[in-house]
Amino acid sequence: MTGNTAEAEDLTQEAFLQLYRKIATFRGESAFSTWLHRLAVNVVLMHLRKKGLPEVSLEESLEPQQEDGPRKDIGARDNVLAGSIDRVNLERAIESLPPGYRIIFVLHDIEGYEHNEIAEMMGCSIGNSKSQLHKARLKLRDLLKTSRAEKAVRR
Amino acid sequence: MTCAEFQRVLPYIIETGGNADEEQHLRDCQICSDLVADLKYIADQAKLLVPMEEPSPRVWEGIRGSLEREGLVKPARARGRLLGFQHWGPLPWVASLAALALILFGVFLFQRAQVEPSTISEPAGSASVSQPAVSLQTVSIDRDDDQLLQQMTTSRPAMMSNFRDNLKQVNAAIADARQAVQQNPDDSEARESLIRAYQQKAMLYEMATRSLQ
Repeated sequence: MTGNTAEAEDLTQEAFLQLYRKIATFRGESAFSTWLHRLAVNVVLMHLRKKGLPEVSLEESLEPQQEDGPRKDIGARDNVLAGSIDRVNLERAIESLPPGYRIIFVLHDIEGYEHNEIAEMMGCSIGNSKSQLHKARLKLRDLLKTSRAEKAVRR
Repeated sequence: MTCAEFQRVLPYIIETGGNADEEQHLRDCQICSDLVADLKYIADQAKLLVPMEEPSPRVWEGIRGSLEREGLVKPARARGRLLGFQHWGPLPWVASLAALALILFGVFLFQRAQVEPSTISEPAGSASVSQPAVSLQTVSIDRDDDQLLQQMTTSRPAMMSNFRDNLKQVNAAIADARQAVQQNPDDSEARESLIRAYQQKAMLYEMATRSLQ
C-alpha cells in the first residue's frame, strides 16, 4: 500500500503496537482479520496524510470527470496488453498510482479481499469500492501502455 | 447501447457479468472488448504479486522494544530472574525430590540395625514380601538401575553380581505388588506391599551408593 519497503516495515510495527494497545476495544462485531486490516489501513492512511500526499477521494463524485469519459482506444488489436506485462513494470505502475487507488487495488486484486470487506475496512460503500478499483485499473492500463510505447521507441 | 453507457456500468458488471444489452455490446464493440480484456489481464497479473516476504527482524525487535518501553510487557531477562531458577529447567524439582527421598531413606535406616551389604533385610515389624509371582526372567532393569549397575561394575565388581540379583528380586516384588494394586485398588494390604517393595529398593540403592563412596 505504501509502495516502499522501509515505510511498510515502519507502519507494520506501528500497526502491531496499535493492535496491542487497542485489542480490548475489539467487540467481535466483525471478523478479527477485518478489524485488524482496518486498523492497518488506517495507519497507512494517517501516514499518507501526514506526508501530505494527495489521496484520491473515496467519495463518489456526482459530476462525471473527464477521465470517466468513454475510452476510445482506436487502433489495431495489438493495442491489447495481454502477454506484454512483466512483474517489474506492473509493480512500478502500482507504485505510481495515487495512494487511494493503490490501497483499493492492493486490497482487492493482490490480497484478494471482497468489496464488502474493503468497504468495511475503508468506511465506504461497496459501489464506491468497485468504482475506485475500476479507476485504479484504468490508470494502470494507461501507465503500462505508456511504458510499453516508450520501450518500443527506444528500440 | 453506446460505449459511454457501457463503460459507465462496467465497474459494477466486470466481475459478475451484465444484462443482455451489455453483453451484446461487449460482443459487438472491439474497443470495449479490448478494454475489458486489458482490465481483466491486469487483475490476473496482480494476483501473482501476493507478497511472500516476512518482515525483517528489525520490525519484531522494534515491536518488542516499544512494548517493553511502554511497560506493556516485561523484558525477557526480568522474567527469568523473577523465578530465579527458571533457566535451569527441571533440575531444581529433581534435586528437591532427591533430597526428600534421601531424608526418608535416612529416617528408615536410623530405625534399623546394621545390614549385610549382600542381602536385603526386611524392615522390623513388617511382614516379608511374598515371593514374586512375576518371573525374574521377565523383570526389566530400568535406566536408573542400569546406571547404578554400570557404576558398580566399575567400582565394586565383586559386589555387582549380588547387587544385580537383589535388584531383580526387588523389581519383581514391585511388579507383583503393582499388579495386585491394579487388580484391586481398594486392597490396603496390596498397597502396603507396594510401598514396602519400593522401600526395599530405596534401601538397596542407599547401600549401593554407600559402598561406592
